[in-house]
Amino acid sequence: MSMTGKIAAPRFALSGDVMQMLYRVLAVVLLSAILAMLSDVFLTANNILNVLRQTALLFLMASGLTLVILTAGLDLSIGANVALSGCLAASVIKLTGAPLAGVGVGILCGTMVGLANGVLVTALRIPSFIATYGMMWMLTGVTYYYMGGETIHGFPAGFRQLGSGYLFGVPTPVYVMVLFLAIGALFAQRTIWGQQIYAIGANPVAARLSGVPVERRLVLVYTVSGAMAGLASLIILARINSAQGDIGEELTLPAIAAVLVGGTSLFGGSGTVAGTLIGALLLTVVLNGMNLLQINSSWQPLATGIIILLAVWIDTRTRRLGE
Amino acid sequence: MKRLFSLTAALTISWSGSTFAAGETIAVFTKNLTNPYFQAVRVGTETAAKALSVKVIQYVPTKPDSIPEQLSQVEDVIVKKPDAIVFIPVDYKALVPAVEKINAAKIPVTNITDRSAAGDFVAFVGADDYSIGLAVGKRLLTAMGGKGNVVILEGVKGSLTSTNRVRGFTDALKEFPNAKLLASQPGNFQRLNALQVMENLMQSFPQIDGVLAANDPMAVGALEALEGAGRKAQVVGINGSKEAVDLIKSGKLLASGDFNGFIQGCVGTEIAVRNLRKQPTPKEVMLKPIVVDKSNFAPYETPVEQRACPALEQVLSN
Repeated sequence: MSMTGKIAAPRFALSGDVMQMLYRVLAVVLLSAILAMLSDVFLTANNILNVLRQTALLFLMASGLTLVILTAGLDLSIGANVALSGCLAASVIKLTGAPLAGVGVGILCGTMVGLANGVLVTALRIPSFIATYGMMWMLTGVTYYYMGGETIHGFPAGFRQLGSGYLFGVPTPVYVMVLFLAIGALFAQRTIWGQQIYAIGANPVAARLSGVPVERRLVLVYTVSGAMAGLASLIILARINSAQGDIGEELTLPAIAAVLVGGTSLFGGSGTVAGTLIGALLLTVVLNGMNLLQINSSWQPLATGIIILLAVWIDTRTRRLGE
Repeated sequence: MKRLFSLTAALTISWSGSTFAAGETIAVFTKNLTNPYFQAVRVGTETAAKALSVKVIQYVPTKPDSIPEQLSQVEDVIVKKPDAIVFIPVDYKALVPAVEKINAAKIPVTNITDRSAAGDFVAFVGADDYSIGLAVGKRLLTAMGGKGNVVILEGVKGSLTSTNRVRGFTDALKEFPNAKLLASQPGNFQRLNALQVMENLMQSFPQIDGVLAANDPMAVGALEALEGAGRKAQVVGINGSKEAVDLIKSGKLLASGDFNGFIQGCVGTEIAVRNLRKQPTPKEVMLKPIVVDKSNFAPYETPVEQRACPALEQVLSN
């Protein structure tokens, strides 16, 4: 098979992906319509911005992960990576009083962890699930040891703008989200590297035979995933104005869920970064809706589960009808 | 997996087994390395150990609150046969079989913080979540002049700690008929969760005057959400953590109920040692709820590492 032939395949899938995306948007619209009927504040501009700000964090973590899952890999270390990168960044900000130094350290730490994952998966040939699971434990151990049960809190106002600030009435994290949505979508769909990532997920052997540098691209996706975790950790710090050894831990599964609900296949080769945004949006809207309607806390986990399954079911159903 | 746990347990030991006296060995079990409360408990046990010339070894699950991990740590400890155990179960029901194994091995065990559902203990040392919730709730409502709109941020649904604290909050509300409970939603004891829940609740309610958070991290999350929205409300938390004390000092947080992990660690260890030395011990010590606020935060500014354990008689007479 020639190289161009291999790369053309995902291009064809693209129009299908656009349709898939529309169905997913439909699921979110349907859920939103129901919530709008039940709560008169759900569709206010204020609440929409509120939901988007909350979505931003989940999306940032899930966007890098999307590339990993597109190669049929998995990164279980993102939550632990957020914790370590966040705690290191927090101490640097506290020590130096320079938010930029903290931002640099946070992103650098996240990136290095991602690079290490990439090396484990390629050079040592450890399956990604195990490699990143092991990495998760190591990072958690280091973070807990480093923090020793302490909390770091109180960051400069300028830094906190990154999480809790507004620009022209729109929360800052939303701009970051839109920026990385654009970069992610362009990278995956419009660059040769992006196309190679789809090719690796679809068929790694064929990709290698057609000249795709599989190892280098794999290292790239894990590094990007780590860097995004590092970036997300900064948004968390800026939002909660503090760092603790367990920040971000509870976000690993929702981030994976956002990618999968967003239509990316665990088997690799199909899915989009934009789909992941829809997935993250859906998960965030569910929580927002429950708070707005003050659903009894005993019922919330059950309701969350049912709504996620329903949304994905509606999506697959309508897609089948469309075909 | 079990080997991994033992390995990490061994690492934990080498990290925190800093007291090397000639006396008896006490194994201390706490729930996690992340919550500052348990750090205070561990420091309490070590401070008491130093004073009593005994050696303590800390056992902490690497995965916070992991039931299987604590179970296997208990099994390891039984093999090593320490002279006594000071025990906080990660789950008050699920760890009962582990307690029974300790009993069968005839190692005297003192239960602190969370009361185990069954098993033979030298004593129980704890503070009552319900009374703390009630006391801190009353403090908030008094500060609000007994009226206004209140929201509750619950902890992990189904956990005894959250259930009892929230029950204390709601009973405090019953004493102030002019205060209105708008919503009670779960923040899972996590600050990011609490922040987002508070942001969502502020969408529904244009006027929120008071926030009852079931722990300090959630109280801080709520404060951040309020500040982000440019709104004001009185906020209380529970734990008496260093962070909360700083915020009380700067006037941002109204109060925090003190669960006093340090003293629980002190008293639990002292009772374990007294029992070994055949001295009389109380069967139960319930610490009185203390509400830390602007009027009494000063002693809490001393880091736990630098505090001294109170005399047992003094604790008992309170």
